Amino acid sequence: MKKVIVVDHLVKDFEVLEKESGLKGSLNSLIHPKKRTVTAVRDLSFTIQEGELVGFIGPNGAGKTTTLKTLSGLLYPTSGFVSVMDFNPWEKSSDFLKQISLLMGQKNQLWWDLPAMESFELNKEIYEISNKEFKKNLEELVNLLNVSTLLQTQVRKLSLGQRMKMELIAALIYKPKVLFLDEPTIGLDLTAQQSLRDFIYQYNKKHNATIILTSHNMKDLVDLTRRVIVINDGQLIFDGALEELTIKFAEDKLIKAKLSSEIDVKHLEEIGMVKKFEYPELIISVPRNTVAIAASELLQNYPVSDLTIEELPIEDVIRTVFNSRNVFNSNED
Amino acid sequence: MSLIVTRTKMNKYLKILEISLQQEFTYKLNFIMWRIRNIMQVLVFFFLWSSVFQNSNVNYFGYSKEKIIAYAFLLIFVRAIIMSSRSVDVAGIISNGELSNLLLKPINFFKYWITRDISSKFLNIIFSFVEITVLFLILKPEIFVQTNFVNIVLFVASLLIASLIFFSIAMLTSFVPFWIPEISWGAQFLVIVIFVEFLSGAFFPLDVFPTFIQNILKFTPFPYLVFVPIQTYLGNESIQLSLLSLTVGAMWALILLFITKKIWQKGLKVYEAIGR
Repeated sequence: MKKVIVVDHLVKDFEVLEKESGLKGSLNSLIHPKKRTVTAVRDLSFTIQEGELVGFIGPNGAGKTTTLKTLSGLLYPTSGFVSVMDFNPWEKSSDFLKQISLLMGQKNQLWWDLPAMESFELNKEIYEISNKEFKKNLEELVNLLNVSTLLQTQVRKLSLGQRMKMELIAALIYKPKVLFLDEPTIGLDLTAQQSLRDFIYQYNKKHNATIILTSHNMKDLVDLTRRVIVINDGQLIFDGALEELTIKFAEDKLIKAKLSSEIDVKHLEEIGMVKKFEYPELIISVPRNTVAIAASELLQNYPVSDLTIEELPIEDVIRTVFNSRNVFNSNED
Repeated sequence: MSLIVTRTKMNKYLKILEISLQQEFTYKLNFIMWRIRNIMQVLVFFFLWSSVFQNSNVNYFGYSKEKIIAYAFLLIFVRAIIMSSRSVDVAGIISNGELSNLLLKPINFFKYWITRDISSKFLNIIFSFVEITVLFLILKPEIFVQTNFVNIVLFVASLLIASLIFFSIAMLTSFVPFWIPEISWGAQFLVIVIFVEFLSGAFFPLDVFPTFIQNILKFTPFPYLVFVPIQTYLGNESIQLSLLSLTVGAMWALILLFITKKIWQKGLKVYEAIGR
């Protein structure tokens, strides 16, 4: 397997101008500008193999977008090393740029005042695609995203979701080998989200493309990625399979039971934390290592007709991960 | 093979040219406003100098009435070529992060903007010809027409040099937001409207300045934008002097383009690609 993406001890600092609020504050900062260094990414390292589809998770401001921008050559690393397909992204060589695509949910490359088709044709020339290739790729993308009737509409007249689809076509019309997708499903309706997910999945399989995907939409991650990289405050806190993330960070498991007659909830507290009780359904959360004992206790002492043991929903796990950062730091020490 | 490669590279910029022209057409009103602004400036110039030359046959600052009228009409044309530019938009796209879109594409940033400038200049030149014709029919001025072929060749060369100087000035002032994102058009307004227009001869021939100021100005890039090309057309100076001016202008263009490239490379390093 070939390493397509290498990030080694990457650090990226930004200088920010601090402004006090109010007019007086603005005047103050005009005369005595206070500069502060913000570290967006600190000592981040990971590698990604060819054909991998990796989820990149972190709360707002964790440094996901900064990392993607550094990988696509927009930002100059403060220190550390990055390489994509053996290119130094910063050099922005044509051969590199022709093989990558950075799609950001809220950024548009389309020409606002012209039909999307014009932007596609411009990309055809810029990326030097043959007529045949262009026709083939366009047809595939247009059918998949179901936008054939919108190609000649001025971009400014499209809805957000329609525009996102067009952005996606513009970003993929030249069949890039490496894709950085930053919140690709933002603003899309559920059907469109699903078709986009299907598309990303197929694109990855069919072209053996390497994809990094950031999303706050857990469905995107669960459906698409096997491996996730979790960062917070610019630091890597987890890199591995999605299921392992749950095992590592979710201290509890859920027992879901169906009861055959009414019971007193009070006594249940001895077994675990009652998350939900609406007769006949019961959900209790118990520590991972005692889940078997808790389940048997429940079966023995209560009128249970059905019982399942489940992992916490991924959203909950990730919320725990972000909320208890200090715990991990001490673990790592 | 290399021919094919060159052709696909050309197609890139031809498509940019085409799309850029389409874009100009969608902003018809904007374009018309810009043309009106240009014409107004020239009309002010025209009427001011017409009143100065009321009792003709007198020469002011070495200009006869015909020549000063020719200066006014040439201004329309020269301004259309030199000062029509899309690269003034660069400040805005650096400031709001749209620059990222260009940086991600396998195109040369400077060639891209030169292409877009050409589309803007092309449209403006066409309009300037129409305007000159209409104004000529209305005002029926006595005008000086240059017939010497050498002067016309030098004039065309000086326009090319002036365009390059203007391009680098527009770029350099556009790069300010790399360091101070809040100033997206302020720096440009100051430099282009105050310095460039005032000191280039776009408001009045630079001959009206005292000689020592004129001499200082010769060492700045500004006169080579408007004043020198028009002088070259009018043949107010000897061919030797015109050639010298052309050389100095060309040197300025090279120096400024070099600085532009250096500042661009420095700017990219601090570029924050904001906008998420």
